[in-house]
This record gives sequence, structure tokens and C-alpha cells, in this order.
Amino acid sequence: MAVEIQVPPVATQADGPRSSKTTGSARTLKAFRASPYSYAVLILVSTVFFVPFILMFSIALSSDATSAKNLFTIIPSEFEWSNFSHVFSATGLPVGRFILNSVIIATVSAVGQVISSSLVGYAFARLRAPGKSFMFMVVLATMMIPSQITMIPQFLLFKELGWVNTFLPLIIPNFFTNAFNVFLVRQFVSRISGELDEAAQVDGLGYFGIYRRIILPMMWPILTAIAIFTLTASWGDFMGPLIYLNKEEMMPLALGLQYMTSTSNAMQLPPWNLVMVGSILLTVPMICIYYLGQKYLYEMNVSGGSAGVK
Amino acid sequence: MSSTGRRGKSAWIAGVAVLSMISLAACSSDGDGGSDGSTLSMVVWGGDVDKAAYQERIDLFEASQDEIKIKLQLIPGDKYEQKVQTMIAGGDGPDIMQVAEGVNVYSSKNQIIPLDELIADAGLDLEERFGPVGSLYSYEDSVYAIPDRSGAMIVYYNKDLFDAAGVEYPTAEWTTEDAQAAMEKLTIPGQQWGFGGAGWWPQWWSFAYQNGGAIIDDEGRPAANSPEVVDALQWANDLVHVHKVVPSTSDYADMGPDMGGDPAFAAQKVAMNTTGFWAINTLLEADFNWDIAPMWHDEEQAVAAFGSGLAISRDSKKSEQAFQAIDFLTDAEAQTVIIDKAQDVPANLAVQSSEAFLKPEWATREVNMAAFGESSAFVFRSPLIPEWNEMQAAFADNLGTFWNQGGDAAEQLTLIQGKLESVLGSSSR
Amino acid sequence: MTAVDIAAPGTAGAQAPRRAGRRGGARPRLTKRGRSEALAFWLFISPWLIGFVGFLLGPMIASVYISLTEWDSFTPAEFVGLDNYTRALTDDPVFWKALGNTFYYALVSVPLGLVIGVWLANLLNKKIRGRKFFRTMIYLPTLVPLVATAMVFKMVLAPSGPLNDLLGIFGVEGPSWLLDPNWVKPALVVLSAWGAGGATVLLLSAMNGIPREFYEAAEIDGAGPMRQFWAITFPQITPIIFFNLIMGLIGAFQIFSQVYILTAGGPDNASMTIVPLLFREAFSFYHFGYASAIAWLLFIVIIGFTAIAFRTSRSWVFYETEVR
Repeated sequence: MAVEIQVPPVATQADGPRSSKTTGSARTLKAFRASPYSYAVLILVSTVFFVPFILMFSIALSSDATSAKNLFTIIPSEFEWSNFSHVFSATGLPVGRFILNSVIIATVSAVGQVISSSLVGYAFARLRAPGKSFMFMVVLATMMIPSQITMIPQFLLFKELGWVNTFLPLIIPNFFTNAFNVFLVRQFVSRISGELDEAAQVDGLGYFGIYRRIILPMMWPILTAIAIFTLTASWGDFMGPLIYLNKEEMMPLALGLQYMTSTSNAMQLPPWNLVMVGSILLTVPMICIYYLGQKYLYEMNVSGGSAGVK
Repeated sequence: MSSTGRRGKSAWIAGVAVLSMISLAACSSDGDGGSDGSTLSMVVWGGDVDKAAYQERIDLFEASQDEIKIKLQLIPGDKYEQKVQTMIAGGDGPDIMQVAEGVNVYSSKNQIIPLDELIADAGLDLEERFGPVGSLYSYEDSVYAIPDRSGAMIVYYNKDLFDAAGVEYPTAEWTTEDAQAAMEKLTIPGQQWGFGGAGWWPQWWSFAYQNGGAIIDDEGRPAANSPEVVDALQWANDLVHVHKVVPSTSDYADMGPDMGGDPAFAAQKVAMNTTGFWAINTLLEADFNWDIAPMWHDEEQAVAAFGSGLAISRDSKKSEQAFQAIDFLTDAEAQTVIIDKAQDVPANLAVQSSEAFLKPEWATREVNMAAFGESSAFVFRSPLIPEWNEMQAAFADNLGTFWNQGGDAAEQLTLIQGKLESVLGSSSR
Repeated sequence: MTAVDIAAPGTAGAQAPRRAGRRGGARPRLTKRGRSEALAFWLFISPWLIGFVGFLLGPMIASVYISLTEWDSFTPAEFVGLDNYTRALTDDPVFWKALGNTFYYALVSVPLGLVIGVWLANLLNKKIRGRKFFRTMIYLPTLVPLVATAMVFKMVLAPSGPLNDLLGIFGVEGPSWLLDPNWVKPALVVLSAWGAGGATVLLLSAMNGIPREFYEAAEIDGAGPMRQFWAITFPQITPIIFFNLIMGLIGAFQIFSQVYILTAGGPDNASMTIVPLLFREAFSFYHFGYASAIAWLLFIVIIGFTAIAFRTSRSWVFYETEVR
């Protein structure tokens, strides 16, 4: 699988001694032995967790008539695949545009987070400066500030900047990173051996050079994880677009989906089948991203509690 | 291995570059779009039918002149007020906006502009065009919105179910007792209900006003816990939980998500339903016989009216063009579309009394359109206070369980009264 | 570039030495090199610093001021001192109700989610066939954006919806979840439990990092899987559990979309929580001052809970340095 090959060597290093497990010691330790009970629980939980997805598909594939009468079944009984194309025309909403908007907002936000958190996280992990530990305390403290405190002043600030009804309020703050991601990067980089950059320093590489040429190439697992987190959060964000975006053609899919419930069929009910098609469109890209990036998600290795919140 | 790492990296960098360009392009092009000189933005609520009707009227307007264009946008009904207010708070209010009972939420805070001068300049006579409704959207002696749609709440009834149960069709002569007796005969437990319910404010307020009560009295003080209002609300609730002639919330939920009186009537689950004109459109293709009638009465005849007007937000930089558009949209030609599309009752009197309205082309069956005219004689005026949203919140906050599970109207209304007193008191000017 | 890149794989397998010498301790006056390093540090963290000042600290200060005024953002603000706070605390039953609901939600959903998360992560950490499949299935719900989740759960939680059908199989008559003031909060908890798999990512990652030797040693001592979980796995992942707990609490206190879309706070504010209330006060009623005051009260609550969590953490969170 392509994804497997992409794994940079650092991952195995950061993986620690446990990596031997996957590369095949014949004996499995008791703690890792799977019992029938484990399988039973996992199968049961997976099934229960999956029911809403089946329902989602069942509704999405039901005909307009079924949808109008709410005669849905959990197991799909109809297969109106055409709903997947109707959703782009029948709702009278620019659904294609919604998707494009979501893509732009989410990817640019993710890029912003990756760049900024890698810079800041690197500095906190590697560089020495007076006041650094205090600043790191501040970083950690800001994690506890609910965004609602700043919501109103930020709204007024962005209004003054003329950013209302643009993507800027949703995108720009990501270029200034957030505490959680700084924390993740910092933890990750702290675990990378310092010998290399010390050697590079001797060779005359500056701090940016060390960051750019040595640390950054090793940061991909954590940065991919951050990219995934940001993509997911930004893609599904509802409150931000709700406050800042007013024009239909500017809305991302998450908000557009809610607008879809305002279009109604002959029975004055939302076209549930199309709404669910919209939900699927909103969900599937996240599943793909997860699938491609899951390797990194489980290898972030941020367990280094010693440097953690204390 | 290192080469794959590098490939990944260059891909990232390329991605960054491409995306930044896309986003820059997107942002700058949007900037251009926003400052387009001759396009007005207009926001309304509703469903497909409403969107089509508004759009057709806008098309007529755009065809009538070639300077001004209008971009129509539909906002989900239940979130309309909040969204529009957020837009205005963000300095990005629409040029033209639909307003209804919440009109003075906006006018009292100068979020929509007074139209008096524009009206005078255009030589528009509101009294002549709309009758008494012309002054409905006034606040402190200024007009803030031009009436656009208006019409009393009416009773829809399913003729087939009435015939099957051997019940006479409803009329304005019915008393509350007649109505309840009919509902009881029309109910088949667990399967069919006599009435769609009165949980929505225009419905149970109508009963309260019929009973001689008022939510806000003539002096502008809340009177929500007067015996008249209490009795009316209790009756409306008992229909659900004592007499069981109205589906309970869970009965409705079992019919499907977002079910209520309107869709349940269309699905022949309830024999009578009180709502506005819009349900007619839904029912045109129904495979059962139905008709409409004016609301029954109690001590007095009273019924709520639905209506909406068009206003101009303070953020509009083109208020003159916006008014020109509103003037056109509320004039006879454009208002006729409201009928043709079977959307609602047009506010324009001339159109309201035209043959087109009384004998509409789409009427696939006899519909007693005169019911609207008949009702307008006893429409009560809802208190369009600036604190409308807080008032509605007070009702919603205290009547949820009451409607879902039954309860004591007096107790809930006393709570509501207290809340209303503090809301109206605290914001008294 | 290439030289350095090629060198990178060479470090594979190298143990990360503890850079204790670099951390903490009183430092002598900065050398020239130290100064340039310090400068580099501030430059590197400048994105965060600018964001902190511009999007956080500045707005926070503004928020304090706004919370002391009555302001609709259209007419000039009127300074009212602590009125907004006293009004929320003494004169607004909806605030207390929303606060109570928020407590309920946070204190039930977060621990529940963590227990489920740890339980599932431990199962997934075993050498299980189809591990990747189960891992995906369990994480899948967290990938569904909240808006879509809310839409689906409107269906799932219908009185005759799938959840009640499932309960019916066990002879339990399900409540009408979203319509019943007693059940609407449990309904939100159900929705959050569906996403409990989200915690498994960090937990699995942490479990992955536990040295295998610990288990080998325990096995020689004859400890069973349960014993091993409590003696090794659990203590090792407590920092991550703690981290999840804190972040979970902070997130739960800020619940918004689910409430906004599913119930709009109803019935009777039985599901009204602080953030939707704040949103309503700000954007429906234009009480920006009051809404800001509510935001600060929420902040105080969050800080309070975080402080409690930190205080208790000393007795159950084990940091690596202490273990080794």
C-alpha cells in the first residue's frame, strides 16, 4: 500500500521499543492476547456505532415519496442513486460551491496550522531563551480559555477589518497556531534526538536551517496528525461560518447542509433524503482523510508526560 | 526512503502554493462581487414555493427596468431572525429583508431605516394600496416596512373525514364547544385526530383573544396570566392531554421528524388544522377532498393574521433603489404572482379582491377563498413589541413541557408573566 | 540538503537521550550565542505570540470591558458595572438552568466517554485480527461532522427510531428522547458516547509507547491481563487520560452545535447549555454585554473544574519521570 511506503524513518524511531511487536516476535504477551471476549465486544460496539451510518445511507437512497412520508427503514429498501446528482440541482442551493468553499477553508486552515505550529513547537522544544518556560505556561493556560470569551470582540474586530462575509475570519487565525498543536509538536520534537541538530550546529547551520533541514523532515507524523485535526475541525465547523458567512455562495457545506433543511418538498418537510446525501458528502472526505492519515494518528507518540501539563 | 520523504515534502510545498493562490483568488474575487454597484441583496424565509414566487416577482422587476438587479437568498425559517441579526451586527445587512412580527426588534434599534421620506418621494399611498394593514409596520410614528403578504389564519378541514364521521363542515358560526364536539367525533385513538393542535402562538393566542384576553394589554403591559388567557391556553392544552383529540408531541414525532399540524393534515392524520394560506399549495395535489373556512369563535370573534413586509436594512447603501424595488414588488403586477404561485395572500388590496384571487387558476377544486376576506373583519393585532424575540423566548422557555406532557396553564403563565414584566420593564425607555 | 536528509535515517533506533542539561536550572548571563538563540526563539514563536495578543489577549480585555456594559453594538455602550454578572447570578433562572445542564452534560459525558475510550483502546491494543478495521469502525463516528451527526441523530432518537427499536428488543420502552425534558440531556450524552472512539487515538498512541519490557517482566511475575492493565497500562497512560479529561471537560462545557441544531435548547430549556444561551443573548437579543458576562462566568467554571482536576491529578496521574 502506498501509504505504508510513505512512512518516514522517524516514525519507527519514535515508535520506541514496542515496534518489535509488529516486526514479529513469535510469542504474544498475555496483555496483548485477544480473547473471544475482545472480539465479541469489538464486533458489538462496531455494529452499534455503525447503525447511524446505515440509516444515513438508507435515507439518502430513499425516493422522494418515501422521504415525504418519512417511511424510512434502517436497512435500505430503495436505491435512488440519482439522489447523489439531484442534490446538486434539486435543492436550489449551490451545493457544488459549498463543497469547494469547504475545501478551500479547510485546506488553507490546515496549511496555516502546520506551518505555524511546527515553527512554534520547534522553538519551545529546542531553543533556549529567558522566559521560555513562562511562555509555555501561557500556551498551556490558553488551552483553557473558552473561545466564546473572545467570540464577541473577535466578531467586532473582524467586522471592523471588513472580513465579514469572507473566509478570512475562518482561515487567518489558523496561521497563528493554537495551544493544543504547539503542545503536540513540542512533545514530539522533544523526543527526537538532539545529537543531530547539535552536529548540524557545529557544521554552521543556523536555527532556521536546523528547523528546516533536520527537524521539519522528521516532524511529518505529527504535522500530518495536526493537518488531519485541523481539516476535520475546520471542515465540520458550524459556528464560525454561521456567524461570519452570509452569502449562499460563500458558505461551506456544514452550514449549507443546515440551509438545505429549509428547502421543503410538497409536504413542507425538509427533503430528508437529499439532506442525508449532503451529510454523506460532508462525511466521506473526512473518512478518506482519516484512512490516508491514520498511520500517523496512532504514532504521534505524545505520551511524554514528564514535560506535560504539570 | 529519503527520496519518498522528499517527494512528500515537495508535494506539501506545492500544495501550499496552489492553495494560497486559490484562496487569494477566491478572496479577491469575492471582494469584487461584494462591491458590485447595481445588485441588491434580498433575504426571505420559506420553502421552495416561496423561493419560486419571490424569484418570479424579482424577474418581473428586473425586466421592468435595466439598472437594478436583485440577488435573492432564502434563510431557514427557524433561524431567520438570528441570522439576519447576525448579518446586521456584522455590518453586512441585506438591502431588502422580509420582516414580520419581529419588525420592531429591528426598527427600535435603527437596524432598518424609516421609509417615510422614500414613501413620500414615490407618492405611494399605503392606505389606498393596503387598507388598514398599511400602517401595521409602524414604530413611533414612522413606517419601517411595506406590507407584502397578509392573510388571516384559517381552518383547513378534510371533507372526506368529516363526511365519514357525519360531522357538519366548520363555519365562522361555530363556537368553541361546536369545534370540540366535532374534534371528538373525528378522532380515532392512535390513528386519526380531530385537530392539529394549537401549540403555535397564532393558534392559541387566537383562542385567548376570542376569550377576551390579550397578551399585552392596551397600555402596553403584559397580561399573559389573566383568567381569559389562562382558560384559553388550558383548553388548547386539554385538547391534547385530556380530550386527546390532538396528537401529542410524541404522536407527531412518531409520524416522522419535524412533523406538525400542516404535514399531518396533508397526510390525513388530522381532520382539521389552523394555519395560513401556504398550506393550500401543499394540498393542491392531495388525493382527498378538503376546503377552508374562517376560524370559529368563543366570546368574541378573533383570529391571528400572518403577514410580512419588506424593509431596508441600515447597511444598505442603495436605499433608493431598494425602495424602488419594494414599491414594484408590492404593486399589483408583482403581487399577482403571489396568487398565481399559490404562495400566500397578497397584501395589495386591489389584488386581494380580484377575480384572480377569488377564483384562482390553479384551483383544481372548489376552494372557499372568501374565507380570507371574511376573516379579515375580525383579525386581532398582535403586539409587535421591540422585545418580540424575548417574549417568544419566554413562551418557548416555559411552555415546552406543558405542551409535551400537559400541565397547569395558570402556573406556566404566571412564570411567563413575571418574565415578560422583567423584559418589558428592564428595557423601558 | 541531501546530506542532512540522508543522515536522518541513521538515527533510527537511537534512543532519545534526555536533554536534562538543557532544561530548567538557573542560567548565567546570556552569551552572545545565547542572545541570538533567544532572539531566534522569539522569532519562531512570533506566529503564536501575535495570534495570542491579537486574537486572544486583546479580545479578552475587550470582553472584560464589554461585560461591564449594556451594549447592543448599534447604540453607544452604557457602563453598568457588575450588573450583568449580578443579573446572571441572581435574576436569571435560565442562566442557572443552562449552567446546571452544562454541568450535567460535562460531568456525565466526559467520564463516560473516557471509560468507553480506555476500554476500547485497551481492546484495540491487543494483537487482534482486523485491528485496523475495528480501529476505523470505532473512530468513524468522530469523523462525522457535528452538523451531519445532529441530522442523523434527529432520526436515531425519534420516539420510534432505531435506538428505541433496539431498546425494544430488550423489552425496554424507550423514552421520546429529544421531546422529554428528563431525557433530552441523556440523549445528548448518547450522541457524545457515539463519538467516544475519538479518545482512542491518543490513548492507543500512548499505549503504543509503553516499553514492552514492562509487560515481559510482569508476565514473568505471573500477572494476568487485568492485573497488567491496572499495574502497567493504566499508570502509563494516566497523563493522556488526564489530558483527555481536561480537554474533554473544556470541550463539553462549550457544547453548541448539537444543541443548536437538535433541540435549540428545548423543551423548556431542559437542554439549554451555556454557549447556546450566550449565542442567543448576543445574536438574537443583542445583549452583547450580558453575553460577555456569561462567557466570563463560563470561563470561571472551566478554570474551577480544571483546578480541581489538577489538584486530584497528583494522586492518580503518573508522570514518566516519577516512574523511571
